[in-house]
Amino acid sequence: MQRAIEQRGAPTVSITVARDITERAKPPRAVFVPFMMGHHFGVPFHSRLQRRIILEALSRLQKVGESGEIYDLPLSWAQARREGIEIERAMGLRH
Amino acid sequence: MMETSKQLHPGLWDTINERYPGSMITKDDYVPLAKLGKPVAESRLAFVSSAGVQPKGTLPFDVAHPVGDYNFRRVPSSSEPSELEIHQLKYPTVGANRDRNVILPIERLQELAREGVIGGLTPNFYSFIGYNMDPERLERTLAEEIAEAVADDGTEIALLAPA
Repeated sequence: MQRAIEQRGAPTVSITVARDITERAKPPRAVFVPFMMGHHFGVPFHSRLQRRIILEALSRLQKVGESGEIYDLPLSWAQARREGIEIERAMGLRH
Repeated sequence: MMETSKQLHPGLWDTINERYPGSMITKDDYVPLAKLGKPVAESRLAFVSSAGVQPKGTLPFDVAHPVGDYNFRRVPSSSEPSELEIHQLKYPTVGANRDRNVILPIERLQELAREGVIGGLTPNFYSFIGYNMDPERLERTLAEEIAEAVADDGTEIALLAPA
C-alpha cells in the first residue's frame, strides 16, 4: 500500500508497532513504536504523545535516507501508560 | 536473526504466518524514495489506516469473510471522532474505543493543519481492514485503488498506520 502511494510520487511514512512485519514488507520509510497492537499513537487522551509521534514520523520525510529504513522512536509503553493514567486522573476519569 | 527484542509482541510475523500461511506480505526489493516537493508546512497530508475505522452509517467492513474485505472507506478528514466507529477483530481496541486518536489521530492532524505545521489535509482519509488473506490480491486491487484515490485527492505527503 505504502509502496504504491510512494511510487505515484508522494513521500510516505508509516508508524508501526510490529517491526518484524515491517522489515519484511519493506515500506519506503517507517518509524517503530514499541507499543501494544492497535495503539500506534499511544494511550487515550495523551495528546502530547499522539502529536509527538506524528511529528517524529513527519520529520523522517525531511531526512535523506535509504528506502526501507525503520527508525526506532525512543519511547516506552510502560511510561506511556503511566503518563496516560496521570492524565486520566487529572481529567477526573480515573481515581 | 532480526532485532525484535524491543517489540512489545515479539515474533508477530511468525505467529500470523503460522496461523494464516501465505497471508503475510514479504518483499525482496525496495521502492525508490519519492522526493518532498515542498516543505511539510506547505504540503497536503493524507492519512491511510488499516484499522477498520469508518464513518458511522457506512456499510461495516466484512470482518467475518474468510479471505477478508478488499474494499476501503473514505473518512472525511473534517470528521469528529464521535462520527467514527471501528469494525475489525484483529487488534485490541481498548484504547481506541475511548479515544479514536490512539489509532487514527484525526484531531491531532486537524490541529497540526490549523497551526500550519502541515500545509493541510486531503478532503478524505482512507481506511480498510488489515485482515486480508491474499497479499497478491491486496496489492493488485486494494493497494492500487487506494493509491489512485490518494493521488487524486492531491496528496503531497502520506502518513500510514498499519494496524
